[in-house]
Amino acid sequence: MAPQPSSKKRKAVTCDSPEADQVLLSDGGDDSDTALLHGTRSQSEEETDVEDEDASSDLFDGYSDLEDEMDLEDALVSDQIPSTSERDLADLKRNGTATSSVTKEKEDAEGPPAKYKITEDANGNPRYIYDDIVPVYDSDDSDAPATQNTIGNVPLSFYDSYPHIGYDINGKKISRPAKGEALDALLDSIELPKGWTGLTDPTSGKPLELSQQELEVLKRIQMNEVPDEGYDPYPDTVEYFTSKTEMMPLSAAPEPKRRFVNSKHEAKQIMKIVRAIREGRILPYKPPPEEEVDDLQVKRYDIWANEIARPDHPMNVPAPKLPPPGYEESYHPPPEYLPDQNEEKAWEDADEEDRDKDFLPTNHDALRKVPGYDKFIKEKFERCLDLYLAPRVRRSKLNIDPESLLPKLPSLEELKPFPTTCATLFRGHDGRVRSLAVDPSGFWLASSGDDGTVKVWELLTGRQIWSVRLGSEEAVNVVRWRPGTEAVILSAAIGENIYLIAPPFVDPEIETKGREVLDAGWGYAANGATINATKEPAIQWTRPGSRLEDEGVLVKFSLRKTVKVISWHRRGEYFSTVCPQAQSSAVAIHTISKHLTQLPFRKLKGLAQSASFHPSKPIFLIATQRVIRSYDLSKQELVKIIQPGARWISSFDVHPGGDNLIVGTYDRRLLWHDLDLSVRPFKTLRYHKKAIRAVKYHQGGLPLFADASDDGSLQIFHGKVVGDMMENATIVPLKVLRGHTVKKELGVLDLDWHPSQPWLVSAGADGICRLWT
Amino acid sequence: MGRIKKKGTAGQAKNFITRTQAVRKLQVSLPDFRRLCIYKGIYPREPRSKKKASKSSTPSTTFYYSRDINYLLHEPLLAKFRDHKALGKKISRHLGRGEVGDAARLERRGATKLSLDHIIKERYPTFVDALRDLDDALSLLFLFANLPSTSTVPPKTMALCQRLCLEFEHYLITTNSLRKSFLSIKGIYYQATIQGQDILWLVPYRFVQRVTGDVDFRIMGTFVEFYTTLLGFVNFRLYTSIGLIYPPRFNAKSDEQSGELGAFTLEGRGIEEPRQIESVNEHANGEDNGAMEPKKSIEEIQKQIAAIEEGSNTEQNISQGQDQYQAPDQEIIDAIDTFETTGDDADVLPQPQAGGIEAQSLFAPFTFFLSRETPRQPLEFILRAFGCKRIGFDAILGDGAFTNNEADPTITHQIVDRPPMASLPEEQQVSENSSDPSSTTVVKPGHRVPGRTYIQPQWVWDCINEVKLLRPDLYGPGATLPPHLSPWVKPTKGAYNPSAPLAEQEREGEAEEAEGLSDDEEDEEAPEDEEKSDDAAEDGVIILPSASTPAIANLRDDHGMTIAGSESGSDPTSEADSFAGFDSAPESDAEPALTQHQRELEAEAAGLTFSETLTKANGQPVKGILKASKGDEARKRAAKKRREEEEELERRKMMMGRKKRKMLDKMLHSNKQKEGEAGALRAKRRKIEAKKA
Repeated sequence: MAPQPSSKKRKAVTCDSPEADQVLLSDGGDDSDTALLHGTRSQSEEETDVEDEDASSDLFDGYSDLEDEMDLEDALVSDQIPSTSERDLADLKRNGTATSSVTKEKEDAEGPPAKYKITEDANGNPRYIYDDIVPVYDSDDSDAPATQNTIGNVPLSFYDSYPHIGYDINGKKISRPAKGEALDALLDSIELPKGWTGLTDPTSGKPLELSQQELEVLKRIQMNEVPDEGYDPYPDTVEYFTSKTEMMPLSAAPEPKRRFVNSKHEAKQIMKIVRAIREGRILPYKPPPEEEVDDLQVKRYDIWANEIARPDHPMNVPAPKLPPPGYEESYHPPPEYLPDQNEEKAWEDADEEDRDKDFLPTNHDALRKVPGYDKFIKEKFERCLDLYLAPRVRRSKLNIDPESLLPKLPSLEELKPFPTTCATLFRGHDGRVRSLAVDPSGFWLASSGDDGTVKVWELLTGRQIWSVRLGSEEAVNVVRWRPGTEAVILSAAIGENIYLIAPPFVDPEIETKGREVLDAGWGYAANGATINATKEPAIQWTRPGSRLEDEGVLVKFSLRKTVKVISWHRRGEYFSTVCPQAQSSAVAIHTISKHLTQLPFRKLKGLAQSASFHPSKPIFLIATQRVIRSYDLSKQELVKIIQPGARWISSFDVHPGGDNLIVGTYDRRLLWHDLDLSVRPFKTLRYHKKAIRAVKYHQGGLPLFADASDDGSLQIFHGKVVGDMMENATIVPLKVLRGHTVKKELGVLDLDWHPSQPWLVSAGADGICRLWT
Repeated sequence: MGRIKKKGTAGQAKNFITRTQAVRKLQVSLPDFRRLCIYKGIYPREPRSKKKASKSSTPSTTFYYSRDINYLLHEPLLAKFRDHKALGKKISRHLGRGEVGDAARLERRGATKLSLDHIIKERYPTFVDALRDLDDALSLLFLFANLPSTSTVPPKTMALCQRLCLEFEHYLITTNSLRKSFLSIKGIYYQATIQGQDILWLVPYRFVQRVTGDVDFRIMGTFVEFYTTLLGFVNFRLYTSIGLIYPPRFNAKSDEQSGELGAFTLEGRGIEEPRQIESVNEHANGEDNGAMEPKKSIEEIQKQIAAIEEGSNTEQNISQGQDQYQAPDQEIIDAIDTFETTGDDADVLPQPQAGGIEAQSLFAPFTFFLSRETPRQPLEFILRAFGCKRIGFDAILGDGAFTNNEADPTITHQIVDRPPMASLPEEQQVSENSSDPSSTTVVKPGHRVPGRTYIQPQWVWDCINEVKLLRPDLYGPGATLPPHLSPWVKPTKGAYNPSAPLAEQEREGEAEEAEGLSDDEEDEEAPEDEEKSDDAAEDGVIILPSASTPAIANLRDDHGMTIAGSESGSDPTSEADSFAGFDSAPESDAEPALTQHQRELEAEAAGLTFSETLTKANGQPVKGILKASKGDEARKRAAKKRREEEEELERRKMMMGRKKRKMLDKMLHSNKQKEGEAGALRAKRRKIEAKKA
C-alpha cells in the first residue's frame, strides 16, 4: 500500500516545480540575483525534498555528480539528447521514477545569459543551463540537514500504527516512506550502492547510507591513518637556526679585554674562601669523627641486656678447652716426675711431633730461678691456629670400666663339682677300647674293645667282674646298657651282630627280670614273621648258641652291615642301631618286647652317623655326615633339619631338657645348638687339635658336658640351661683332662658320665679306661 | 617407586663445601676469609666420608659446613671488607701517581673501624656462653699485655690488652672469685669461677718473649681484636653486675710508674661512696715514704713515728685477729663436711669447693711485704684476691704499694726469694731499727725483722690451693721447698698420686718384687761398671744397659753372678766378648747357668740349700742372697697371680663376641698404658726413697 501514494506525490511535485523555476527566471540576472535565485531555488528544492521520501543529501550528491558529467558533456557537445535519457535512467535507478521531471525543469531553466547558458532542448525550447552554485560561507545553505520530522524526541515507534511518521515544519504529515516493493528490495540486494549500510536512520526512518567522505574517513581509520585528510604526520623540519657555520664574523668589533683578564669579583670570592680556610672557619675536609679521639674504645653498654639462650645445634662443636696442667708441668715437681738421662735424651732425640709432651719437666728450687718459657708465643699461636683451622669432630669417648663389658661368669664355687683327676684305671682289654657305658645304677662299667670281648667292671674299684668274648676277629664296636634299674640288660654290637645280654653277676631277682624281658618276645616274633613274609626276609632274632647262653647272652640278631651305634629309648622298650655303610637300612629300630626290627628310614640322604631318641618327646634324631634330622615318630614326619655347618659329624647328644644339642665333629669342632633358637649353632667351640670322637651331656642333673678327642684329651664344660626362653645357655670351659696316650692317631674313643655323680669314664685307644672324679 | 634421586643434591655432598669453593662463593681474598672465620668462629669440619663430601676426585683437605658459609654471605663485615679493598685500590692509585697527600687523606678518612659488637652477640647469645669461652681470650690477652708492639699489633692494642686484663683482675679481686693458681714452667695458671663457670688461663712470666719466624702475628692480631671486644663487654657486664661503674677511673700517671692494679679506681654507682682500693688511698703515703728526699721535714718523721707506733698497736690487733682466724675451722658449722670414701671401689661424689668467704678471709688479717726479687704482679693479684688489703713492696717494683718501707712494723709476712746470707745477729738488727728511725727504710739484705714471717713465694700459691694457711717454716728462705703440685689433678683410682704415701698405692707385692730387682741391680752395678769402663777404654763404644724388661734383668742377674764367681781368675772369654758388647751375654750365660745347675745338684746331694752353698763357694754376703730369694719369691708369687688372672680373663673373653672383645682389648690396652705410667712413677719414687734412706 505504501509505495503507491508516494509515487502519486512525486508526480505532484513535478507539477509544482516549474512554477518556482519560473519565478526564478523572472528575477535577477547578476550575482546577487543568482544568490537570491539560488536561495529560492534551494527553497524550492527543499520543498521538493520534503516531498521526496529519500534522503535529500543523497539526492543532491547524485545531482551534482550528474551535473559535473553534464558540464563535461556540454563542453564537448552542445546538444545532447542521450544525456537526458541517460540521466533519466540513472534517476530511475536511484530514486524510482521521480527525478526525471526535475531535470527537465533544470534544462528548462537554462535560459538567461548571465551565469547560465541558453541552449536548446530536444523540443527546441530554450534551455537554461546554470553554472554550478558555489556555496560560500555566507550562503544560507548549510551542510547540516534541517530536521524534517518535528516530532522531537518522541520515539518513532509511537507512530507504528499510523501511515505517517511525524510532521514537517509546515505541519504536514510526513508519510511513512515506502519500504520498497519486492522488486526494489531485490534490486537493492543485488546491487548494493556505495555507502550502503543496511541500517535505518532512526531520525528519518530511511535506510542509512554513508557519504563518500564518510567512507573515506572510515577507510583511513581502517588503514591506521589519521582520519583527517590533510594532516601530514611528517612535515619537513623548519630550520630556525642554520646548521652551517659562518666563516666570517657577523661583527667586526675586537674581543673585549674582560675576556682576557681574571675576574676581579671571582678573585674576591676565592680570597674570601681562602681567608676562611686560613682562619679555620671553613674546613676543607670533614673532620675525623669524635670517636677516634677517645683513645681506647671501651665498651660502654651491656650487650647481654636481653639475652636469649640459643638451643644447641648438633652441628655446633664448641672448641675444646685446653686440659689443665698436671704435676709434671710444675716449676718444682715431685722428683719422680723428673726425667732421667735416658728419658731426657729420648725426648730430645724424638721429632717434635712425636713427643708425647711438648716440654721437659724441669726442677727449679726457687721461683726466681724459673726462666721464661721460650715456646710460649709459639704455643699460643698454635692454639689460635687450632681454633680456626683445625676441623672439629665430635667423638664419643667410652669411659667405662672394661670389667663391665666382660660377661658375668658364675663363680668358681658355683661351677663345682666337675671331674678333675683320674681316680681309677681299668686295664684288661687287648687293643683299643671301643666303647664303654656306665650302668643306670652307677655301680658297673661295661666296656668293649678290639679284642672282641665285653667286660663289666666295678666302677669304683676298677675290678673286672664279668667278661664275655663275643667274637675273635671283629671288634665290639659298641656296648650300651638298657635304661632302667629294675632289669639289667646289656646290648653290644660286634660286626653286624647285635647281642642282648642279661649279665649273671647281678642280683638273681634282677637277672631273672632281665631274662624275662628278653624272652618275652619270642612268640610274637614268629607271628610277625608270617605277616611280613611277602616282603623281604625280616631280620631274625635268634638264640646265640649254648656257650653264650650260659654266659647270659640271650638274644642275637644280625643286620646287614657293621653296627656302629646303639642308642636306647628312655623307657627301655626300643633301641636303635646305626650301620653307616648300609645305604637304605642304615638306621634300624628294634622292639624288645616283640623281637621286632624295623627299618623306617629307607630314603636317607647321606651317610647316617648316629641316631638318638629325644629324652622326653616322641622325636627321633638322625645325624648324617652334615646335618641332623629330627623326625616326629608319632606323626611320622620330618620336624627339623639342624645344620651344624660341620663337614663330618662324629656324634651328638641331646640335653636331658630336650632343647639343646651338642654335636662333635671330625673337623675338631664342638657345636652347641639351641633348638628353639635356630638351626645354626649357638656356639662353636674349637679347643681340640684333633677330631672329636664323642660328646656327652651329664644325664643326672648336673650342668656338665664333655667331649673326647683324638688328641688324647677330654674337655669338661659347664653348660647351664635356664628354663627362661630369654636367657641363653651359659657355657664355661672348665677342665682339660689329659691321661690317655695317643696310639696310631687315636686318643679317646668314647666317654660316659656317671648317672648321678660328676664322674666321667673314658675309653682310650691305649686299651685303658679311666674314671675321672 | 619415587623419583630417582640425583647424586650430590642431599646429604654430605650438599652439607660440606671446600675452602676454595667457600672463598669463591664469598668473593673475598683468602686472608679476608680467614679473618672472617676468626671473627665469626667458623671452623672446618671433618665429614664422615670425605669422598662423599668432595665433588672432585682430588682429595681436598679442608671442608666447611655449607650453612656456615651461607650464613657468612649476609655478614655486614663482608661489605666492610669490600669497602676496605676498594679504598686500598684508591690509595695505591694515588701513591702510584705520586699524590702522597691524597693517599694519606684517604687513609685517614677511609679507615673505618670494624665493629665486632654484633658478632659478640651472635656468637655468645648469653653471658654464660661468653664466660665459657673466656679461657683462650684471657690467655692471649695476658700474653699480649706483656708483649712489645709490632707492625701488625699496634701499641694501642697492647695498651688496651693491659687495661682490660687489669680491669678483669680487679673484678676478681673485688668478688674474690679467684680459686686456684699454679706455678708451672710455662707461666702461671689461674683459675677463677664466675657464675659457676671455671675459667682457666695462663699468664707468662715477665720475660722478653722469644718470637720465632713461624708465628704469624696477623692471625694473632685478628684474634686479639676479637678478644679485646669480647673482654670489654664481659668486663662491662661484670662491673655493672656488682654495682660498679665501668670503665673504672684510670690514673695514667700512676700507670706510667707501673702502678699496675693500683692505677685503677673502682667507683660505685649512684649513692654509694666511691669504692676505692686501699692501695690507692695509701698511695700518697707510700709515695711519700718511697721518695728518698734528703730534706725531710721533721713533722713528717714524727708522723712516721706515730704511724709506726700505731702500727705496733695494729700488729697486736692483727695478731689477735690471727688467733681468731686460726680458730675458724671449728667455728664454721654450716660448712659441709668432707666425705672420704673408705673403699677403693666406692664412687666419689663431688662436693663443692671452697667458696668466696674462705677466699675473702684467707689473707685478710696480714700485711705482706714483697721483696725486690719476687714477682710483684702475680703476688699482688693473688694476695688481693684472697683478701689481703695491705701489700707493701720496694719502690723499684713500681707504684701503688701500701708501704715502701721494708721496716714497717705493721708488716706481718715478708715474701723473699733469695738464698739466706750469713747475717748479723737479729738482736743487733732490732736495736738498730728501734734506735734510729731514719734507718728503718733501709734494711740490709739478709737481715730479718723479728716477729715477721719470712716465706718463699710458693707458700702463697700452696696456701690458696689448699684454702688454708700452711706451715710457714717449710717455706722459709733457703729451705728446700716441698714439691709444688697442680691443684687440678684429681686423684683417680690406679693413677699415681705423689702426695699419698707410696705404700698405699702399690700393687700387692710390688715393693718386694721391685726390691729384689733393685737389689740385683745394685749388686751387679759394680762389675757392670767395670766392664763398661773396660769397653770404653778399648773400643770407645758405650752400650747403655736397659733394665726395663724383667727378662733382661734376670739375664743380667746371671751375668753378674758369673763375674762374681770368676772374679779371681780373669776370664779370657770376657775380654773377647767385650768387643761384641752385650750381644754375647747369652753365650757367656749358658755356661754359668750350667755350672750353677750342677752346683745346685751337688748341693742337693750334699743335703744343703743352694744359697748356703753359694755363700760358701763365693763368700758373698748372705744377706743379699736371702733378700734376692725373698724378692724372687715375691716375684714368682706375683707372676703366678698375674698368670692366673690372665687365664681367668681369657676364659671370660672367650665368651664374648668378636666386636665386644676388640673394644675390651682396646680399653685394656689404654688402661695398661696408664698403669704402666703410674708404675714407672712409683718405681722412680721407690728408688728415690731408697736413696734417701
